Amino acid sequence: MAELQGLGAALSEAEKTGVEIVAVSPDPNARSHEMAQRLHLSYRFVADTDLAVTRRYGLVHARGGAHGEDVPTPTTVVLDRDGVVRWLWISTNFQLRPDPNEVLGAVRAL
Amino acid sequence: MRSAWLTILSVLVCAATIAAYALLLRVPAVRNHPEGYVAAFALAATVAGLAAALGRRWYAWTALALSVALLLSGAMFNFVLARIPEPHTTLRVGERTPDFSLPDAGGQTVSLAEYRGKKPVVLVFYRGYW
Repeated sequence: MAELQGLGAALSEAEKTGVEIVAVSPDPNARSHEMAQRLHLSYRFVADTDLAVTRRYGLVHARGGAHGEDVPTPTTVVLDRDGVVRWLWISTNFQLRPDPNEVLGAVRAL
Repeated sequence: MRSAWLTILSVLVCAATIAAYALLLRVPAVRNHPEGYVAAFALAATVAGLAAALGRRWYAWTALALSVALLLSGAMFNFVLARIPEPHTTLRVGERTPDFSLPDAGGQTVSLAEYRGKKPVVLVFYRGYW
């Protein structure tokens, strides 16, 4: 979540309309929406409440949650206009997130 | 006297490490090097150990206990608890992702296919605030 804020800060005004940031989380939408407003983010927050999409993408961290529940593996994917993966970052430690400048570097290189 | 100064130094290193990590969590260089706080606690423990060896005072022992406790819990957190096993992802660089449709905060459906041919997409899977 904190990384989204960093991405927002690193994007120029022109880029904000040229790229779509879609944030997927099992968090209820209301919570994500509230967070987005607090952080002044204009991304699309979508709720994968039952982790169905996360599971289809093979990104579930089984029993990784604070209460032993399944949670998503923090992941950032850059897709080009054709929907092809051009850059992929999967966390191996939940403290780690990609550097927003690296993510945007991948977007700018498209 | 040197023991007292070393004790103060050890406690300061511990406090500064915790404050720096909490305050600078959003700075990628800090967040992405969590082993840095483990190293700082190890340094604090070494300094406190030196203080205890030189002075054998209660305060030196207290600083040693504190820094060793932080070192052990920090190392446990970073190297064991925070680790995520490698997922068996279906995502491959150079390949298309499967499409999906999910509801957004306004109840509107967002479909990955709607951006095809139009915009690049940064897809972020996240949990909580970390």
